[in-house]
Amino acid sequence: MTLIYRIIVLIVLLLVVWNLFDEDKMKNQANAAIVIIPLLLRVLMIK
Amino acid sequence: MNKRITATIFLVLALIIAFVSGQSFLKMYDEEPIVKGPGVTRTEMLSDYFPGLKDSTGDTEIYVLEGAKPGGSTLVLGGTHPNESAAYLASVIMIENAVVEKGTLYIIPRANNSAFTHNDAQEGSPQKFTIETEFGERWFRYGSRATNPVDQWPDPDVYIHAASGQQLSGSETRNLNRGYPGRPDGTQTEQVCYGITTLININEISMTIDLHEASPEYPVINAIVSHEDAMPIAADVAINMQLDGIDIGLEPSPVNLRGLTHRELGDATETFAVLMETANPSQGRLRGATNADLVTEGQDHLYEKAADLGRLFVPFDESGHPIEERVARHVKGVMSFVESMSVYDESKTMIITGLPSYEELVENGVGKYLLPVD
Repeated sequence: MTLIYRIIVLIVLLLVVWNLFDEDKMKNQANAAIVIIPLLLRVLMIK
Repeated sequence: MNKRITATIFLVLALIIAFVSGQSFLKMYDEEPIVKGPGVTRTEMLSDYFPGLKDSTGDTEIYVLEGAKPGGSTLVLGGTHPNESAAYLASVIMIENAVVEKGTLYIIPRANNSAFTHNDAQEGSPQKFTIETEFGERWFRYGSRATNPVDQWPDPDVYIHAASGQQLSGSETRNLNRGYPGRPDGTQTEQVCYGITTLININEISMTIDLHEASPEYPVINAIVSHEDAMPIAADVAINMQLDGIDIGLEPSPVNLRGLTHRELGDATETFAVLMETANPSQGRLRGATNADLVTEGQDHLYEKAADLGRLFVPFDESGHPIEERVARHVKGVMSFVESMSVYDESKTMIITGLPSYEELVENGVGKYLLPVD
């Protein structure tokens, strides 16, 4: 179950990174970068 | 600027922040040293009693102080809630100082080991606090009330206590003191509860004392909560402590509040199950800056103001409730329980020496009774 959860989080993380590079506005890019931090920490099961 | 360049800069910044914060979070897994005192005869692991915990963060050390003469036995739980620092520190003081002449003392300082590996979100809690000793500083972890979500997730919307069907808020599923008697095929928190219940049953432990702290605005504070089977002993302890000038109340364990040590361990085992609370402003909702000083000094001007307004359940003046006073209450309480149990049932007599008195702890501070780390 934890593995499935981590795969889902990883997919969301990759979509956010994709979104980061797809965004035209710098403000939205900053938003995406902030969202990446907790997702990355959770994929690695650190926090 | 090209959007790919800005995106790369933001991504690198995010990675740096994740790395730095990740390092900080991982430091929470470092365990502070606990020095085995002269009375420690052996250590065991909770997984010795429930192997399902082996190699998990739920596994935790049990310090056993066995006397030369047979007698009663007492289990002390520190660190059921690792943000209740005096409860944890009192158990460490017992490990490093107590010598048992008759009977056996079991101490689990990190009862919810997983909860020591993180802080509660949005509380601004310190990761550790330090105590000055003659040999330099000793550090101690300040953890969370509940099991780390990394070890047990997701929380259900409603937590249903397995043995009773009682419904509580979902986050209580990670609260060790809502999971007793536990079950082997449950969550990690329930498995730790099951391990502790099994330890009590196998060793036929006479008395279990669960040490806690609570915020000064919480009604059950500077108090003993006792299962009905332990009530004669608890009443004796409350009277004796009052006679010694230590203000302490006595509450019966509510029959309908399930999952707590003083209810479930008393019902599911033969142990006399009790719980003790002291006043810790670092847990409260009315506190100001939350830092290591608040944990050790126990002083907050906002709590003084709340006391003036009559909103607290303990006196609170400019002295606050420093950790030496809170630890002293717990150590004194444990000793009082052991003495009263010995009077109540001679076959369960225990003789423990080496522990500082209430007055010594308050006067000399906790650091005086911590051993040097090799």
